[in-house]
Amino acid sequence: MIYLDSAATTLQKPRAVAKQMARAVGRLSSPGRGGHAAAMRAADAAFSCRMLAADMFGVREPENVVFTSNATHGLNIAIKSLVKSGMRVLVSGYEHNAVMRPLKAIGADIVVASSELFEPEMAVFAFERKLRDADVVICNHVSNVFGYILPVQRIARLCDERGIPFILDASQSAGVIDIDLAQLCARFIAMPGHKGLYGPQGTGLLLCAETPVGIMQGGTGSNSLSRDMPDFLPDALEAGTHNMPGIIGLMQGMEFVHKRGAERIMEHERELIRVASDGLTMLDRVRVYRSEHLFSQGGVVSFTVRDASCEQVGEELSRRGVAVRAGLHCAPDAHRTAGTIDTGTIRVSVSAFNTKTEICRFLDILRDIVAKI
Amino acid sequence: MIYYLLLCKSITYAQHTARVLERVGISGIVTRLPKKIATEGCAYCVRVSGRYISDALVAVRNAGITDIRVFAQYADGNLSEVDA
Repeated sequence: MIYLDSAATTLQKPRAVAKQMARAVGRLSSPGRGGHAAAMRAADAAFSCRMLAADMFGVREPENVVFTSNATHGLNIAIKSLVKSGMRVLVSGYEHNAVMRPLKAIGADIVVASSELFEPEMAVFAFERKLRDADVVICNHVSNVFGYILPVQRIARLCDERGIPFILDASQSAGVIDIDLAQLCARFIAMPGHKGLYGPQGTGLLLCAETPVGIMQGGTGSNSLSRDMPDFLPDALEAGTHNMPGIIGLMQGMEFVHKRGAERIMEHERELIRVASDGLTMLDRVRVYRSEHLFSQGGVVSFTVRDASCEQVGEELSRRGVAVRAGLHCAPDAHRTAGTIDTGTIRVSVSAFNTKTEICRFLDILRDIVAKI
Repeated sequence: MIYYLLLCKSITYAQHTARVLERVGISGIVTRLPKKIATEGCAYCVRVSGRYISDALVAVRNAGITDIRVFAQYADGNLSEVDA
């Protein structure tokens, strides 16, 4: 199979991920649950993972790195901690349902700073214009539909200057773009473990500049005489037994990224997307959503085929051994902004493990499919 | 021989404290807090040899870990809080 759906989950992982996860199952119990060797080994391993993440993402204290089950989980904690009903929340036009649905459920007054695709200057201007009455700002770092890299550093700076809390959704950027919590002055950054960090599904990280209100209560292995949750991180947010095999897998994935370097991985992915986009552009009836500027697009490209539904093309590709994602990608707002809400798109997304040969093979198969439609 | 127990808010803080000590060449063992001083329920501490306690406290404070209580643990098992 040619796997081109890494924006959903990177399927190919460094070999050490599965190996160390299998090893963890029989060796590590849970941090803070007992003083025996298996619990202490788990505590040591979990802390090593927090340290690595703190080092990679500019978090001053490893305690402020919280394990979550995915980016959606982290975003829910961050949003529910800062946003109350009726509050005005400014978002980009490229947000995922992981942001929009919690905001809707809370009853927030959602204001969209809408701007054209691959136009970072316009994005900054759109935010600047609407910032005045915002209580909270949430922004996607990289669009999961189009790979558009939003100018989040500049948006975060505008928020910082005005004292507006800023939440970053780093679902598509963690592992390919340098992220620094302290430098961004963000309150929270949420990221999945199973995408660009090459960890397993069911893992994620929430980087915290403050202690949020948890959305779950339960055992933490600390302050256990009290019926209240501890008010300190990470315990305030980590009720229940930890996913130790997942945490170990995530650490192996992060070590891979750390050693190879986010910049190098991004360079590789961009080159593959350039080859894919060039090839797609040559095909009749194919419309490609690509940036003219290298700096504003990551390892994702979307396209549509005239006179064919996205699902039809996606299914045919799948039948011929190519895994892509077709439809709205859980981000209808991004499609509304880009004008593709009625059709959706077919999305190609790559990882460090894809090759140019795979991209060329995908293009050959697609050419054949398009010719026969 | 006297040991000192550095009381930590959680297992994560205990791990952090032990790593800080490790960086300055002091061995600190993460362990469960003895029941008699675990006034808030389950808790963890880092056990340090008496001969290194001064350096250990300096290292811990330099690392920004300030919210810490210290108990002396005597050979007979008795414990008494000391001024950190």
